[in-house]
Parts: sequence; C-alpha cells; structure tokens
Amino acid sequence: MGMSKPRRLGAVAAATISVLMLAACGGSGGSGGAGSGATGGKVDGAGKTLNVLMNVTAQYPQEQQAWFKEMSTKFKAETGADIQWETFATANDEMTRIQTSVVSGQGPDVYGLGTTFTPTAYSTGAFVKLGDNEWNQLGGKDKFVPAALGISGPDEGNQIGIPFVSRPFVMAYNTELLAAAGIEKPATTWDEFTEQAKKLTKGDQYGVAVAYKDNFDPWKYIWGMSIQAGNPIIDGSKVRLDDPITKKAYDTYFGWVTKDKVVDPSSVGWANPQALAAFAAGKAAYFPMTSPLSIPALDASAVKGKYKYALMPTVPPGESSNPSGGKPAASILSGDNLVVADYSKQKDLAFAFIKMITEKDVQLNYFKVFGQLPANQAAAKELASNEIIAPALDSGAKSVATPFSGAWGDVQLSLTNVVVQSIPDLSAGSVSDANLTQRLKDEQAKSQTALDRAKK
Amino acid sequence: MASSVTEPRPSDSSPAAGAAAGPGGPTPSVTRRKGLSEKNRPLWLLIPGGFLMTIVILIPLAMGIWMSVIDLDQYSLRRWVSAEFIGIQNYIEAATSSDLLRSIWLSVSFAVISTLVTIPLGVAAAVVTQNAYRGRALVRSIFLIPYVLPSFVVASVWRTMLQPDGIVNVTLTNMGMDGGLWLNGPNAYWTLVWVEIWAAWPFIYLLALSGLQAVDHEVHEASALDGALWWNKLRYVIFPYLKGPVSLAFLLATLNHINNFTLPYVLFGAPAPSDVNVLPILVYVTSFQSFRFGLSAAMAVVSLILIAIPLFIYLRAVKLDVHDGGKK
Repeated sequence: MGMSKPRRLGAVAAATISVLMLAACGGSGGSGGAGSGATGGKVDGAGKTLNVLMNVTAQYPQEQQAWFKEMSTKFKAETGADIQWETFATANDEMTRIQTSVVSGQGPDVYGLGTTFTPTAYSTGAFVKLGDNEWNQLGGKDKFVPAALGISGPDEGNQIGIPFVSRPFVMAYNTELLAAAGIEKPATTWDEFTEQAKKLTKGDQYGVAVAYKDNFDPWKYIWGMSIQAGNPIIDGSKVRLDDPITKKAYDTYFGWVTKDKVVDPSSVGWANPQALAAFAAGKAAYFPMTSPLSIPALDASAVKGKYKYALMPTVPPGESSNPSGGKPAASILSGDNLVVADYSKQKDLAFAFIKMITEKDVQLNYFKVFGQLPANQAAAKELASNEIIAPALDSGAKSVATPFSGAWGDVQLSLTNVVVQSIPDLSAGSVSDANLTQRLKDEQAKSQTALDRAKK
Repeated sequence: MASSVTEPRPSDSSPAAGAAAGPGGPTPSVTRRKGLSEKNRPLWLLIPGGFLMTIVILIPLAMGIWMSVIDLDQYSLRRWVSAEFIGIQNYIEAATSSDLLRSIWLSVSFAVISTLVTIPLGVAAAVVTQNAYRGRALVRSIFLIPYVLPSFVVASVWRTMLQPDGIVNVTLTNMGMDGGLWLNGPNAYWTLVWVEIWAAWPFIYLLALSGLQAVDHEVHEASALDGALWWNKLRYVIFPYLKGPVSLAFLLATLNHINNFTLPYVLFGAPAPSDVNVLPILVYVTSFQSFRFGLSAAMAVVSLILIAIPLFIYLRAVKLDVHDGGKK
C-alpha cells in the first residue's frame, strides 16, 4: 500500500487529463451547426447577449467606450438584445482568442479583423461563409464600397469578411516645401518621386520621411512596387520573392538612404510614428504610407494647414507607365472586416448587429469620431467632397487586395525580414547585391514552404 | 518516493492518529514516531499540491509534447484532435531547416554571460550594503530600482536611448566617438546583454544579501579575534556562507535570462535581427506569426531537453536538491 499512494496520485492526474480532454473535445464537436436562417423581418433578441470582439483604438479609448455604449443602446432598441464588448490590442492577442474559441467552440459571436489578417482567419475555417441569405440580412452587397470587398474571401463564392472601415494608405506632402522647390504636383511615378525628393533635400530637410524599422510599413512599399510592375508575390502556387521585379523594389526602397540620400540616415531606426513626427516638424517634404488617421497629429503640429494628402505613385520604379500585367495599386486594401463565428448560436443577431453598424449614419459618425473611412458606399460618397479626405477615398477605390492565402502572413513576415536584416547594411551606407540576393533567396525558400502547406 | 517493505497500519491515517501527532502533544511513544517515519508519511496531504501541479505543469507539458508530434497549424487548428500524427518530422524540421540551434546558442551564451557579469556585481553590492552606515537604506532602495521596473519599461527606455539619433549616440558623437547602430547588427547582441545585466543584477544582490544576513554574529567576532583582515575574512569566512544562495541565484538568473521574452521583443521587435533571434522570439514568431504550433512545440521541447541536461548536472554538483535531515 505504500506504493499505492503515488499510484493513486497518478490515477487522479490521469482522470483529470481525460476529463479535460473530453470537455475540450465535446466543446469543439458540439458546435458548428448551421444558422437558423434569415427571419426576413426583425430579429428578436430579447434576453440574449451578443458577444463582440473589436480592435482597441488606442488613440481614442474614451471615445471608443462611448461608442460601445451608444451602439448597445441602439441595438437594444432594435432587437432587445444586449451586447458584451471585448477588445484586443494586437493581432497576436486576437489570434490567441480565435485559437481558444475555435478549439473550445465558444467565445465571441462577432470578430473585427484587420484586412491582411482575414486570409489567416479564413484558413481556420471557423467563420460563416456569406451566401445570398446572409448578404440580404446585411442589407445587400451593394451597400458596400466595391473595392472594400476585395479581401472578404478567396473568391466571390467564399466570402467571410464584411467590410467595416477602410484605412487606405496615401502620402502626405508639405505644400510649402514643394512650392518652394518649384514642384507643382506631387509625383505619380516612383522615379519622379525620387527625383523630386532629391530636389527637396537640403540642409537638415529631407525629401522623404520613411520608417525603415517599422514592423509593417516596409512590406507595403515592396508589395506595392511589385504589384505595380506585375508581380503579385504569391502567383498561383509559386512565391515570387526572388523575382527581379521585387529585387528592384528593394533596391529603390533602400536606395533612398544609400544612393539618393533623400531620407534622414537616422530613419533606419524609425517606426512609423517617428517618421510622422519628422514630417510634422517640417523636416521632410513627403511622408508616404500614412492614412487620414494622422490628421489629428498633423493638425496639432507645425505643418497645420500646410499639408495635403495625395495618392502614392502607382507606376513602378524604372517605368513611365504600368507594364502589362502591372496593376496601378495605390495602396494595399487596408481596414477592418467583421466576421461571424461558425460556432455562434445567434447568427441572426450577429448579422443584425453588423447591419446596424454598417449603415450610412453610423459609419459617418464613426468617421467623425475616429477618422476611419466608411466601408458603406453612400457614406463614402458623402465624404468625397472633403478636400483632405478625397485622395484617401480615391486611394481606397484604387487599392488592391494582398493575395488571399493562408500563407500571406509568412510572406509578409519574409518581406519585412529582408528589411530588418538589411538595416546594418543600410546604416553602413550600402546594401551589396550579393547580400540582398542571398536574403531574398532565404526568404523565398521559407515563404514557398509556407505556401506549399497552404495548398495541401 | 517512498517504497515500503513493511505493511503500514491503516489506523495511521485515522483522525485519532493525526490528532495525537499534533504539536504540543505528550512525548511520542515508539508507535507514534513510527507513524511519522518515511514509510508512512501522510502522502495524501500532497494531493492538493499534486493536483495543482498536474493542472499547471504536467498537463501543459504533456500537451506540448503531444503537439510536437502532430501537424498542428492554422489549417488543422479547428480539428486539433484529429490533426495528423507526423512523429518526429517537426523535430527534424526544427533541427535542420529552422534557426533553432543558432537561437539556442544565442540564448544560452547570452544568459551565461549575463549571469557571470551580474554575480560579482550583485555580491559586491550586497557586501557594500551589509554594514550599517548613514544613508544605507537609501542606497539599498536605489539598488532595487532596476529590479522593480517592469521589463517592458526598461526595454522601452533603452530602446529610445539607443536609437541611431538617440541620446547615447548624441553623447558619443559629442565625445568624438561614432556610436553606430545598437538595435540591429552585431552590436545588438551586446545591447541585449548590457540591458539584461542592467535590469537583472539586483536579483543576485538580493539573494547574496539574504546569504550575508544569515552569517551568525559570532562568526564575525571569531574572525576578528583571529585577526583576519577584510579580504581574508571575506574570502575564507564570508564567501563560503554565500555559496548556497549564490549558486541558487546563478541557476535561477540563468534560467530567467533564457526565458526573457519581453526584453528582446520590445528592444528589437519581431522579426528580430538575426544576431538577437533568441529562443523565445523564435518560438513566438513560429507560433504566432507563422502559426506553426506543432513546429514551435517541437522547438520548445528540444530546448527544454537541451537546457535540462546541464541543469541536472549542475544541480547534482552543487547539491541544491539535497537537504540535511531530509531523511529519517
């Protein structure tokens, strides 16, 4: 019996494990039933609570709480149901939430997702695919800005994301500095952009503010210049990171520091807010890869009233027009989508909620408070007359979705990693051809492995 | 654990026996002493602790090992129970086509260097604040500042100072030196070591101080009577007392360094520059940016084993796991 006590402990442990496993299995197996279908009229949600997980807006925490409250009241009046709000701070937080919810079969009914994260979420297969029925519940597909639907799913028949807001990228330029250099119009090709930047660089003033150290900005430049020249990076079952087109994009992007010297050498250590600060201080004439979210910061700075937005160049480096196969992409398709969890037992209520927050008035109000552009077509039209906003809306309409693949996360990581590993070279003044080629080769292999897994 | 030859008596665990063995009881009889021997210790008292350990440590460990042999990623996450069993393929991939071995080397070397530097600093600081003098409390409080600051804050502040145009480089330039790049490239490794040392030495200081406090007053008197001067006293009288606490500190600090995720993550971001792609960052990126949960579990298991081997040897060597009087 002296031996039996440890054994008993072992038995307790084993029993606990099996109970937990059973609970987990039961959870994941017992859900996923189809929705109860559209009711046509109003959804009755009396006594129910809808669980919504949204991205936290770090810039406007109080406004977000107020907006949550307002929407809860409105939703209660419309359906009788309450809303339980939750927020996440980073894509990683959210992935953890999705993981636990997917595995246990319970959690938020509605998720807000960044657009580039939507393919990853899609690949988990945990969200409701939108058929005619669902789109009708939402007020019809026509309600949304067409370009915003570009990253709702891999194709028209397999969409999961409902566009909520749009954050297209544009470049800000300093009207005074451009006028002083005799430049009438902001550049529309990357070559022209570099030439203008050279003219605009003198003393401690630089042509461009670029955030080389940012964790997200760099891949957007490279992807944009590549797609403009006809390389979508993920091309069917092939990754084309080691393509000469993409290498040229890196050469151009790095060349601003090493060859053209149109950016502050310190910018090899900058993240986006530092580049914004340099532009806001009047130290840089151009600030690409920003969005109307920078309006509050710029209006409180030295360049208030002296800046405008414009589309980033849409013609790739070394060309005067887009080559065949190249797309004049003004921006990645950027913003937030909403998705409904497959395990949700109140899908009708979830769609009623999404319908409500994508209505014109709610969207216009959301723009006013948070500076995020509407995905609702009527609301976007109404803002088109706003001079500052118009280029951003234009960019939204001309933005191109990043490839819809579960491997996109890895490709994005690879695109960024080439820049991260090149920073010592950038700081030293030149990125050798051999180094760049080797880095592209390494990352090509990693990305291709990831894409091969996605195809299985 | 206990392995018994004799048959224990069931009455030992009865309430009566438990009450009789309580403190303040009469001189225990032979039978009662037997009741507390190793053979019949009331092991069932371990159940609450054992239960917690099972939930907090053993189950996650078992699941981690299980995850490392299945093909778990974003595509199979939803049906994780039926994810394909792929044996040691994750391990092969981790060892051959990932940065795992390099990351382990970076992590271990970084941790050992940081610990080796912090130990003399911590011990010296403890010795300096051992004897009472005016302002000692203040000095002791100041010494603890790096330790009480959250890792996130420490990393953010250093990251700001070490920017290419940050205060460190500006100062160096004013002194006629070229600072260069601190947060990427070969210097980044030493930046990580430096900031870790800055943040972690008070831990050694605290443990060394507790060791010093344990030195009996008589020992000081005796060595003074023998005419030992400060260095001899320190070397032959005081340091032997510190062997235990400092060995423990060495162990815990090294493990803490290896496991530190916040510091490299906030200092360098993810993906990390290759010179500071330490183990926690590699596992994080594999898990949460590439979503290769199976592969990252294999990485974690490999590193656990690699770290456990020297740890085991070290534990045997310094005998931290053996207590005097532990056996009857």
